[in-house]
Amino acid sequence: MGRGVLPYLFIDDVDWGIMNILITGLITGSMLALLSIGFSLIFGVARIINIAHTAFYMVAAYCIFSLSVKLAFNPVAGMLIAVVFVTVLGLLVYKFLIDPIREHEAAVLIATIALAMIFQEAILRIFTGDYRTVSALIEGYFIVTGVKVFYQQVLTFGVVLVILGLLWLLLMKTRLGLAIRSTAEDREVANLMGMNESRLAMITMGLSVALAGFTGAVIAPLMVLSPYMWMEPLIMMMAVVVLGGLGSIKGSFVAAYILGFTEALVVFLIPKGAFLKGSVALSIMILVLLLRPEGLFGVYFEEER
Amino acid sequence: MVPAGLYLKRFYTIVRNEVLVLPSRIIVALFFLALLGMPLVTRNPYLIRIVILTSIFAILAASWDLLSGFTGQMNFGHALFFGMGAYTSAMLNVHLHISPWGSVPLGALAAVLTGLIVGIPCLRLKHTYLALTTMAFPIILMGIVFALPDFTGGELGISGLQRLSNSLLGNYYIHVVAMLALCTIMWKITDSNTGIIFHAIREDELAVKASGINTTRYKLLAFCLSGFFAGLAGGLYAHYMRIAGPSTLEVSMSFTVVIWAVFGGMATIYGPVAAVFILFPMLELVRFWPEYRTMIFAVVVLLILLYMPEGLIPWARDKMEKECPRCKIRNVATRKTCRVCTALLD
Amino acid sequence: MKKMTVGWSILLTAALVMAMCFPAWGRTIKIGVIGPMNFVQGKGHWNGATMAAEEINAKGGVQVGKEKMKIELVKADSNEFLSVTDATNAMERLMTQDKVDFVVGGFRTEAVLPMQDIAMDYKKIFIGCGAATDSICNRVGENYSRYKYWFRGTPFKSSYLARTSFSHLGMAGAVIKNELKVPVKCAIVAEKASWTEGMIKAAEATIPKMGFELVGVWRPSAVATDVTAELSAIQQSGANMIFTIFSSSVGITFARQAGELKIPAIQVGINVEAQKDGFWEATKGMGNYVMTLNTYARGIEVNEMTKPFVETYFKRFGETPTYTADTYSQILDALVPSIEAVGSLDADKIVAYLETREYMVPSGKIKYEKDAQGKPTHDLTWGPGYLTSLGVQWQDGKLVAVWPNKWKATSTVPEVTYKGMVPLKLPPWMKK
Repeated sequence: MGRGVLPYLFIDDVDWGIMNILITGLITGSMLALLSIGFSLIFGVARIINIAHTAFYMVAAYCIFSLSVKLAFNPVAGMLIAVVFVTVLGLLVYKFLIDPIREHEAAVLIATIALAMIFQEAILRIFTGDYRTVSALIEGYFIVTGVKVFYQQVLTFGVVLVILGLLWLLLMKTRLGLAIRSTAEDREVANLMGMNESRLAMITMGLSVALAGFTGAVIAPLMVLSPYMWMEPLIMMMAVVVLGGLGSIKGSFVAAYILGFTEALVVFLIPKGAFLKGSVALSIMILVLLLRPEGLFGVYFEEER
Repeated sequence: MVPAGLYLKRFYTIVRNEVLVLPSRIIVALFFLALLGMPLVTRNPYLIRIVILTSIFAILAASWDLLSGFTGQMNFGHALFFGMGAYTSAMLNVHLHISPWGSVPLGALAAVLTGLIVGIPCLRLKHTYLALTTMAFPIILMGIVFALPDFTGGELGISGLQRLSNSLLGNYYIHVVAMLALCTIMWKITDSNTGIIFHAIREDELAVKASGINTTRYKLLAFCLSGFFAGLAGGLYAHYMRIAGPSTLEVSMSFTVVIWAVFGGMATIYGPVAAVFILFPMLELVRFWPEYRTMIFAVVVLLILLYMPEGLIPWARDKMEKECPRCKIRNVATRKTCRVCTALLD
Repeated sequence: MKKMTVGWSILLTAALVMAMCFPAWGRTIKIGVIGPMNFVQGKGHWNGATMAAEEINAKGGVQVGKEKMKIELVKADSNEFLSVTDATNAMERLMTQDKVDFVVGGFRTEAVLPMQDIAMDYKKIFIGCGAATDSICNRVGENYSRYKYWFRGTPFKSSYLARTSFSHLGMAGAVIKNELKVPVKCAIVAEKASWTEGMIKAAEATIPKMGFELVGVWRPSAVATDVTAELSAIQQSGANMIFTIFSSSVGITFARQAGELKIPAIQVGINVEAQKDGFWEATKGMGNYVMTLNTYARGIEVNEMTKPFVETYFKRFGETPTYTADTYSQILDALVPSIEAVGSLDADKIVAYLETREYMVPSGKIKYEKDAQGKPTHDLTWGPGYLTSLGVQWQDGKLVAVWPNKWKATSTVPEVTYKGMVPLKLPPWMKK
């Protein structure tokens, strides 16, 4: 085996890396946060593991592509239309495909996998497998401490913070948010307290899908679009949600940035091993779970009888 | 002369009283006969190939059901055992020149070890945490495979494996008989004491613990057994395809196994087997419409789940059979009274 | 009288029925085209094959001994990117259901290896048009009697890909030295994948020998969507030449971001996405000045067959052919002449004939190699006069060819320049 793998992987100088790690970590973390909070929400409230969550994200990205590139819409308008379209799609899917079989968790799970596959195939048919790209809203870059940062990256990060802020407001300061949070903590008691649990599930689904759609629309200019782009974020997103603790919004938020920075660190410190970033993130998740089986901030569910 | 006739008569009595009474058992018997007798009807290598691959995947799906359907530990990384079995038997066959008859079982043992390694951290995890953690393992293994390309062949995999048999019929019978035997064994396991404990663990682990049973041991046992059978499937697959590559570890493989099992009906063993025998040939059949193959597959799965969320086979079974309210024995749905205790069936 | 009429009508009907059972044109030669049909590689396989089949059938077909037979193509979607099992099923189906006489195509090595095994089981000629791994042809040398039905149609093997890339590096380096009058600092950026391993090692050894300074090696994921980190580091290292080894979407990301950030270096090497016409749009124009290895480009003439092929393909399918479309030349120039020369569809005879041939194809001249022990490997010979491929560069929205332009492979062979070459352009922001 020769020199062995590990010494081959590490580089010597890291001084230029800190700013880059910070920025990359922030962007990746924000994207994961947006995706995982949506996923965590719908799981907490309705116990639905929506494997198609990142598929909605993909649909939104392709919507942006077709609107802004093919039909030359104004990019911001295109984003909003994409989010609305994806939300409506999500609600329809929920009403006709998920709600009827909600009691059978396993069936719902497989149904969402099948749904994701259908989205993938439909997009493959319409857009072919070629890679697509979307223009940035703001072209260009600026230099900060010797590191080039794209305006679009900063914009994305800013938008993500705004959305997260709005979400926090919604969840913490409104009655709807209170209803959502309480249902997430204990579905049956919330029901007893008079909250319409199934309507809440539907609203949460809409919210969750909207978040996924929004991520797609916002991140699209930084990505390369392909019909298979839903698979990679899916795994990382699930890792984030598990690490943070299912049903805990705060947990997902924190875990998203932890894993985002881990990925950035791996890419920078081990440039020859950049492909390992997924494995490292997942290993961290497993390690944490060994020590704390319910995730960092997870609520330990009593088995619902 | 006379003893032979006696045995024949006994055999006939058993068949009439045990097998022919229930449509599901008739179907199983027909299934066995059809598979064993297929070469008499057709020797088309393409069809033989389809049946062989279906049998291999049937073992895989059944092994998933043994673990996740019965003990409730949803394993989303079943491809790990499959890939481990495939790669180990490939390395033993290609590098150490062990015959396939040896490398496949040894590959399965490697998968059992992996089962332990995975099972131990998963002991404390519940449900979704468990599912998502198990999903991580094949991805980590795939990373290792790519990191050591000299050892594992990287993306190209390990090629140049020998087949178990060089004749068409030989291969067919080896794989089909293996599938029938292994699935029967798995079914027998679920029908035994161990199987009942597995069931119980899924339903209410606390109660099982309270009964004084060491659930840890049984949960690990489930992982190991499942790993063993899945590893066998992996080894058989690698040797039949003559290559063991990273495609055996992909997330899509893990997901496909789960799809088959849930489609067919969890916690039955025969459900996933039937599902594979329905879905895999269907995927091949739909080749006349190549662009829509995967979509048709996904739509079929979605629709079936929408109307039969417990799985296809339990639904079909419920349509064909009724359970007697008094003695809980199953009867044909067309009967008015139970065949054993003559209570009224509604 | 009536009886005779009845008798004649029966005879006539019988004759008609018999005529219907025996089609007027006789048996057809069935050629299976197997590839990932949902992707551009498979489409290239199918398009090239279709063009070839139509051309031959328009001339009346192939003369097989005394009969003239038309070519019938069978499309098989291997789906190899997503499922190797599917690919092998598709191949077996071609063999047993469709009963093809020959197969062309294949792309992903992990799938081509078992597909090759199946074709060899049935002793059918399989011409690979996509997989470059050396080992596929090494099998022929190691076990000739079993694997002799395999030929590589395109591309030449990975080790030659590396040598061609190094020639490109040499040319680009010379341009930098000439125009900028600075020493050449080269960075290697390769996607993390098995096929790049050997090339990276070879590059690490060769680049210093060419008189360039190797400043670092970076390995992003093949589907990386952000490489600003790597680009910053590369800029920091002072590199003015980047040896790219990409086959997947990272090729688009890297080119786009490097262009946006105006990294002062020229990208040379292998960037499969940059070979496609859609690259300009995908990088939003930022992929300007990217150079990559390619097989075809418009306006280039390797020999007199090149332009007719490229232009006909472009007119028909709206895009420049990629190397998987070499199913065209493999059917038209490899298989058909061999069948006609041998006078039958007997695979063994055709193999024996084909492996000794030297023949022209639109991308050059094909001669099959032998390994060190003198055993045939049915692999493609590389070099001036045979197959060299092209070096192409994006210049302001057009993909033009810049190599070989006055290229000398070794000091003893003559210089090679194909018709239609233009000089390599350095990105203007390099000259400050």
